[in-house]
Amino acid sequence: MSSARDNILARVRAALGRQAADPAARSAAQVHMAAHPIGPRPALPEDLRARFLENALKLESSTDELATRKDIPVAVARYLDRLGVDRRAAGWPEFADLDWAAAGVDLAIRPTQGLDPVGVTGVYCAIAETGTLVVLAGSEAPSATLLLPDTHIAVLSAGRIVGSMEEAFALIRRERGQMPRAVNMISGPSRTGDIEQTIVLGAHGPFRVHLLILP
Amino acid sequence: MKVGLLVTCLVDMMRPSIGFAALKLLETAGCGVLVPASQTCCGQPGYNSGDREGARRLAAKLVEEFEACDYLVAPSGSCSGMVKTHYPELFADDPSMLARVAALAAKTYELTDFLVKVVKLEAVPGRFAGTVTYHDSCSGLREMGVKAQPRALLAKVPGIKLSEMNEAETCCGFGGTFSIKFGDISSRMADKKCQNIEDSQADAVVLGDLGCMLNIEGRLRRRGNERTKVLHVAELLAGETDEGAS
Amino acid sequence: MQIATMYFKDRAQLKLQDELLQYNLNKSKGKFVGKRAEAIRELDDFEATRDAAKSIRQRVLDNLDTWLEIFEENARARGTTVLWAETPDEVNRHVLDIAARHGLKKAIKSKSMVSEESALDHAIEAAGMKVVETDLGEYILQINDYEPPSHIIAPALHKSKEEVSALFAKVHGTAPKTGIQELCAEARAVLREHYLTGDLGITGANFLIAETGSVFLVTNEGNATLCTTLPKVHVAITGIEKVVPTLEEASTLLRLLTRSATGQSITNYVDILTGIKGAGEFHGAEHMYVILVDSGRSKVLASEVKEALRCIRCGACMNHCPVYQNIGGHSYGWVYPGPIGSVITPMFIGQEVAADLPNASTLCGSCASVCPVRIPLPELLRKHRETQVRLDLRPVGERLGLRLWTWLASRPALYAWATRLGVRVMKWLGGYEGRIHSLPLASGWTNGRDLPAPAGKTFRELYAARRRAGRQT
Repeated sequence: MSSARDNILARVRAALGRQAADPAARSAAQVHMAAHPIGPRPALPEDLRARFLENALKLESSTDELATRKDIPVAVARYLDRLGVDRRAAGWPEFADLDWAAAGVDLAIRPTQGLDPVGVTGVYCAIAETGTLVVLAGSEAPSATLLLPDTHIAVLSAGRIVGSMEEAFALIRRERGQMPRAVNMISGPSRTGDIEQTIVLGAHGPFRVHLLILP
Repeated sequence: MKVGLLVTCLVDMMRPSIGFAALKLLETAGCGVLVPASQTCCGQPGYNSGDREGARRLAAKLVEEFEACDYLVAPSGSCSGMVKTHYPELFADDPSMLARVAALAAKTYELTDFLVKVVKLEAVPGRFAGTVTYHDSCSGLREMGVKAQPRALLAKVPGIKLSEMNEAETCCGFGGTFSIKFGDISSRMADKKCQNIEDSQADAVVLGDLGCMLNIEGRLRRRGNERTKVLHVAELLAGETDEGAS
Repeated sequence: MQIATMYFKDRAQLKLQDELLQYNLNKSKGKFVGKRAEAIRELDDFEATRDAAKSIRQRVLDNLDTWLEIFEENARARGTTVLWAETPDEVNRHVLDIAARHGLKKAIKSKSMVSEESALDHAIEAAGMKVVETDLGEYILQINDYEPPSHIIAPALHKSKEEVSALFAKVHGTAPKTGIQELCAEARAVLREHYLTGDLGITGANFLIAETGSVFLVTNEGNATLCTTLPKVHVAITGIEKVVPTLEEASTLLRLLTRSATGQSITNYVDILTGIKGAGEFHGAEHMYVILVDSGRSKVLASEVKEALRCIRCGACMNHCPVYQNIGGHSYGWVYPGPIGSVITPMFIGQEVAADLPNASTLCGSCASVCPVRIPLPELLRKHRETQVRLDLRPVGERLGLRLWTWLASRPALYAWATRLGVRVMKWLGGYEGRIHSLPLASGWTNGRDLPAPAGKTFRELYAARRRAGRQT
């Protein structure tokens, strides 16, 4: 009995006027992929940081620019106070070394399972063209921390802002060699327009995305 | 310059004044106009209904009638679009015919496009005291690129004011046999067009295709609107309306 | 999905009379069209981007077998199981087999139009499992007794907030809410529970990336992100045509997809899923499956309408279609409404049952003028009409009428005589008002419109008379 796979490929090949796999097409495809051709992109200004911030604000993310990494706990406390929520959060391991107690923030270093009101995560890189955060999943980067809490606080180094999505992919290839299990790109709070095409924030994911930007 | 006038079957039957208006405009522009007596239909009804063979027969006949002219001009975006964009597709598998068709397509124009781009008409005979709104017929707009040309010509008419309607580029619902096969949907589309026309407060809606004219006028009158005139752009430019000519 | 394409005319007629639906359609139309027009201006060269997108999609289709094999190899290398389905039923069988293999109880599902083709939700429920649609629009339809979607990206577009409010109150047993914000909050609370307890995440795929074996997903709500992060098994179901060679090419397509669909420069979430979770990872699927669905797609590839496979399902063609805007998505009677639906539906379920769809268009060209991958939709609709004539599927009256017209129009002398007579009869029918109120053979026209009567003489006779007069003077 022939398999669904064989039948489908046979029908596709018949439609394309060939009986078997075409080795020439295969090698052309390999050449094409290796070249990673880039299509037309909108022009970007010299100052990617400014463009990123402008777009992030358009997406209804909020931003806070910090002088050093040590300022993160205080900035988190300040933001949570402004929101009027408890200074309680789940965070990624990369923030374990900071002095959270001094800032009066109860930061639990663990993956969230849904009950934490606030999640603090890092960011792999960010995209100026759209104001997008790029997060790579990994053992030290549990994905749900940026999804389940009502408030997502993301820490980004300005030096990690690239121009376009294509540049983000090039960076992943260069630094990681291969794609992680998940690349999650986040452009502002979760939203829906499914009722009367009226935009409402906080569909399933966070209501708020707050960016702490390091130099 | 010898210009072949494709009168179109609808104009021939339903509103000959449009044909004479087109003739007058072309003659005003100094063109020698030829009206092939044996012309009938460009084949579009069959083509759009899936009757490729019938469409090819009528297309071949039209090519025969017009290929000796320097230009083919039609007071219709739809019929000129048929010749220019669809005839080549109809004869894609017939190289000898395709060459003739392509040559004809290259010299085929919608009337206002021809008047603006080729003969660069300076002044028009028509005059109109009042406000008009322009409906962009689908084929003229999307197949022939007719958008600025009629407006540029209308601007030359003494006394005229243009008031753009909302959604001027939205289909009026005619669509040839669609208007009969799917009459209810077609009437609703016409109704929305009429509403936009009325909202523009214009005294007349002006357009470049008789099919859309019949559809819009028919719906306006059924809605009880006896006031808004429905004019072909050629009629208005040539002064072949009730308003008279100069 | 239940096929209702053969009732197109009756359904459209009902929808034209449905005032609430008309109000809802009108409201959404303005938003989609206006936002798209604004968003495409952000691209320095929109037309060049469309050209690039078209060639990206066409490149894949021209060697689809090759790209499918490359995708399969790269996906497998990362631990993804690639399954193939020839028919809608086979899609459902694969999903139920996977559920049985891993002992799964509850599916949380992100919007997948391909799964609508096979009515997957019903199959899952029939097997005794629970399934929850998590896209807000799809959720609204699911709890309304599986009402079919009326739009491919805004499935509940036809519903007003009042209808949603009444539905939520009935199904959730809560007090009716008045604001859209409150309705969304209520759905969020209900769905959050399901996210945390679902063990099978089902999604579609906006693109399959050949070079990396990845599934590329876009949502605004973040529901696909949750469905691919929390459950232990992820199944992505998608058509074989969805392959894109590289991540860079997906980036080009994404710029057009989100702008054409909702007028956004990007959706809030873009997820690229590549294989199963790694060592030490807390979240993510332990088992990942991709089901590659044919269900008629290879037939499209072999047909005159193959360009339709370039489609990236943005919905712009329906948002800009004056027919869709007036009758809504349900009239079309199957999964995919609007111009693209009228092209692919006859290929998927049969020309005979979907005969009305390719004809229910004025061929106005609005769809083709906005399509981000330049699918010549009116030309493809016309190809279907030609097929219907070839297969003798058109009504006898129409066939005879066309044949008679061509016969007559090929004989100029006879034509001149017949039209001369015809216009006199019509002028007479038009009476002193100059318009015809009713024509038995064209009641489709005269039911809703008058027919302005002709002048009574043809151009050709008037022109001949003028020439004669000219010669005499």
